[in-house]
This record gives sequence, C-alpha cells and structure tokens, in this order.
Amino acid sequence: MSDSADPAELQKHVKKYLLIGTLLLVGTIITVALAFVELPTHSLNIIVGMIVATIKASLVALIFMHLNHERPLIYKVLAFTTVFVIVLFVLFIFANADPLVDHNFEKALEPAAQVE
Amino acid sequence: MDIPYTVHARPDTGLYNAKVGIWLFLASEVMLFGGLFSSYIFLRLGADYPWPIHELRWDLGFINTVVLIASSVTVVWAWAAAKMRQFGRCQLLLAITVACAGVFMVNKFLEYKAKFEHYSVTLTDGSILSGHLEHGYHITFGEVKELNLNIASQKTAVTADPLDYVLPFVEGTVPAFKTAEGKDIILDAAGFAELHAEAIAKAKAEKRDSITVKLTAAAPIKFVFGKTDVFTYTADSAVFRDGTSVTGKLIDDKITLTADALDLRSVPAANRENSLAFDARYLGEEWKKYYIQNRDKEIQAFNEKYSDGKGGTTRDPAKSATFQKHAFGLHIEHQHPPAADAKPGEHGGAETDAHGADAGHGDSHGAKVVIETKDVTFFSNYTPKLNTYYAIYFTLTGLHGLHVIAGALVLLYFLVFNGKMMREDTEHFANRVEVGGLFWHFVDLVWIFLFPLLYLL
Repeated sequence: MSDSADPAELQKHVKKYLLIGTLLLVGTIITVALAFVELPTHSLNIIVGMIVATIKASLVALIFMHLNHERPLIYKVLAFTTVFVIVLFVLFIFANADPLVDHNFEKALEPAAQVE
Repeated sequence: MDIPYTVHARPDTGLYNAKVGIWLFLASEVMLFGGLFSSYIFLRLGADYPWPIHELRWDLGFINTVVLIASSVTVVWAWAAAKMRQFGRCQLLLAITVACAGVFMVNKFLEYKAKFEHYSVTLTDGSILSGHLEHGYHITFGEVKELNLNIASQKTAVTADPLDYVLPFVEGTVPAFKTAEGKDIILDAAGFAELHAEAIAKAKAEKRDSITVKLTAAAPIKFVFGKTDVFTYTADSAVFRDGTSVTGKLIDDKITLTADALDLRSVPAANRENSLAFDARYLGEEWKKYYIQNRDKEIQAFNEKYSDGKGGTTRDPAKSATFQKHAFGLHIEHQHPPAADAKPGEHGGAETDAHGADAGHGDSHGAKVVIETKDVTFFSNYTPKLNTYYAIYFTLTGLHGLHVIAGALVLLYFLVFNGKMMREDTEHFANRVEVGGLFWHFVDLVWIFLFPLLYLL
C-alpha cells in the first residue's frame, strides 16, 4: 500500500512536517526551561517533563510515522504493545512498595529517604 | 528472486510487507527500551544515595535533541520527495539525515570521553571528591631485588609472561638477572623461552602443576604500575597479573586529584563540617570556612525564596534536590576558595586567588589534593561501575547510540547503493525509505524520553 503520489498532496505534507518539526523544537526548549523551575516537589517536575515528552512523542508517532492514517492491523499490533508497556512500568513503580507493611502505596512513589 | 508485496499491498493486510514487518519490529523495540526504562525507574526509586541531577552536559544533550528532531524531519521529507520524483532533493535529504546522525555520535563521543576522564573518590566518612587525574594514577613500588616467576607446567589458553606483564612497569632500564643456580640471564624473548622450557621440564619431572623460578636482579628495581596492572599489592609485596610475585617497599600509592567538586550529601548532617575532605592534608581550613559560608548563604537564600511569611518555608528543604546539592557540596575552581565577600554563584576574580606556590596544576581547574588510599573506600572514573545512575545512563544511551549507528547505516545504504532503484522502481525505493524512516523516528522517540529523564530531571 502506498500513499497517493499526488504531488500537491505530498507538498502539503512536507509543509506539515516542517511545522511539526518546529513545534518539536519549541517543545524541547520548554522541556529544558521547565527543568530549571523548581515545582513544589521534584516528582511534579518529572510528571510535567514526561507529559511534554509524551506530547512530542505523539506528534512524531502520529505525523512523522503516519500513524494518523494507518491500517487497522498496525493499530492492533500497537494496542498490544501499549498494554504491555504500561503494565511493565506500573509493575516496576509499585514493586517498590511492600503491601504487607506500607498501608498506602504512595510510599512506592517516593525515592528512598535522603540521609539528612 | 522476486520478493512479493514490496510495492503492492497484500490483500489481507492492506499493506506492503515491509511495513507490517517494521511495525512488528518496532513493537519489540518498544519492549526492549521499555525494560531498560523500567530499570531506570527501579534504580531511581530504590537509590540509597542522592540521585544525580544536572550532572550531565545538558547543553550537548540539547544539541543532540535538536539534531535528531531535524533528522526526523529530513528523513520523512526524503520519503515525500521520492514519492514526488524529486530525486536530487531526496538524496540530499537522506545525506543530511545521515550527517545529523554523525553529529549526534560525535557529541556522544565527546560526552563519554569527558565522563571517562572524570574521577570520583569516596572517602571513608562518605565525602566524595571528584575531579581529574592530571597525571593519571600510578603506584610506585621499589627496592625489589628478586622476581618470583610462576610458571605452569601445562599449556594454558592464555599465555601471560613477565615480558608483557612485569617488565613494562620497570622504571628505567631492565637489569640483568641471575637464576637460583647462579646463571646469568637477560630477560628477553629468547632468555625467557629458555627459562620457560627448563622450568616446564623440571615441573614435569617433579610432577608439579607449576614451578616458581626465582630471579635475582643485578640492581634493585623500581616499578611504576597502574591499579589494574597487578592482582594485589601491600606495603611490602605485589603480585603481577602473570603470577610473578615480588617483595619490596611500597613507595607511593597516593591519588593526586585535581578536585573540582566536593559532595557531602552522603555524610551524616552533623559531621559535614568536619568532613575528612577538610583535613589539613587535603582541602584544609580555608575550604571548610568557605563551605560553611556557602551553606549558610544557600540556607538563607532558600528561606527567603520560599518564605511562608510566618517564619517557615512553603517547601521542605530536605526534599529539594537542588538545594541539597548547592548547600551541601562545593564547586572547586581554584586551589584557594574565592574571596569572603563573593556572592554565591560569583567566583572571586582571578586576582583574589593566591597565585603562590600552588599555582600550576592545582589552579588550572580545581584544587590539587593528594589523597592517601587509607582514607579511600571507593575510587572510580565516571563509568557504569561508579553508581547505578551511571550504569543505567551508559546502558540506555549506549544502546540508543548503537541504534543511531544502525539506522544511519541503513539510510546510508539506500543513499549510496539504491540510486538505480530510486529512478527505475521509485515506489519500491520510496517504501524502503519509509520503512528506514520509521526506524529512525523510533530512535528519535526514545531520545525524546531519554533526554529529559537522564539529563534534566
């Protein structure tokens, strides 16, 4: 399967790629700037950073990788991938909690206590 | 051989085969990097030391991010150009993509090299001095009068003999030797071969696995070796990596570090002022005073910035990694600390530093500190073995770097060897570029997450 070879269509696509590229650069500058702003907790910094990264990644995936108009087969494959990756990360994050001892799982999300 | 469905879609999938293949492959790559990102999460949450923040060259990382984003644009543009039969433009864009990969790897090389040349010394009380070894690290061991060669009677898979494993560390010329029987011997290839043959014959005759051959030197030998050039050493003996043991006197094994930073976060709070690093032999009283002054300034600045108007703070200083790093550590730029009235962040002008006897090595970019090994619990350069942060940093960026090289090589192949296909079977060529581009975008995706996680957050 190949996309239409219509030059006018493709030229519009190229314009879109350049626009998205610029947005990605802006996103990167925002990421760097935010990293030097101290939010109330460092975990918040990480969450915000990851949200910005996810937005950038979505732009690359949807537009550069043509996922915005792909076939159902590809979507099905990626659905499996998404589920497995999320389960993987969740497992590792909560592996830090000991449910017999930690009554609230927030303990799992805090880095080990600093020597103070 | 005619590979089917390289251009036309397969009726059941609705796609050309390579596209299905690459997406399946990318799904597996997601799990590969997902596993490593999970390790990062695990190691960070479980770290029993302050997780390094802003220890990497984020400026180089930023340039690399920009370069990869640009290359992602050019590779998908190259695909569009091929589809539009703009052959020259397509080739130019592919070339720019590969060039961007080259820039990325050069930056990576610079980063890694800087890390490998940077050292961290953990003292017995938990203080960490880091800096550079301007003259490397060597151990001097002298007054050696005899070599005790250890020769195995069986041939081993790896041959290690004194010619490669002992003699290179002799300072000056290698003296002549006398065997236990009084025979003169020059320890060169021929001399050693003869010695070796005799020893093996003797070992076989006496039915022993190995034999020790003692050689007496005509003049006392002084050795200069690195830490990994010997198996072990003590104050009066050393064993080289071929099994040769010597007795003598350890002259010097001190670490001469040009320190550029001190980290006291792993020292219990009450003991930080009296850190071993401030000992008279090391940084001394002047740096201790500067540390106290700087720490108090940081505490005051923090209290002012986050004041809640009622004498407390809106933010817990124990949870502020930046505050902890600035208050309980030091940047060391010269042999002596800046003038007392310099504000934090300002470094007293060069004219305020005493350019006295210590000017020279110490002043170049740090303070020269000569550390005795008895005060050291751990000493390493910034490599995966330093701590779990660097272990995961090098693993993630190293594997990612290999992916960059692989992707660039594939795109380079399309550029250099598929010119004919580009003009005569353009759809096929465009599909190749699309599939190579998909891999390239995935590599960019991984970096989009790697950069903030490792460099910024």
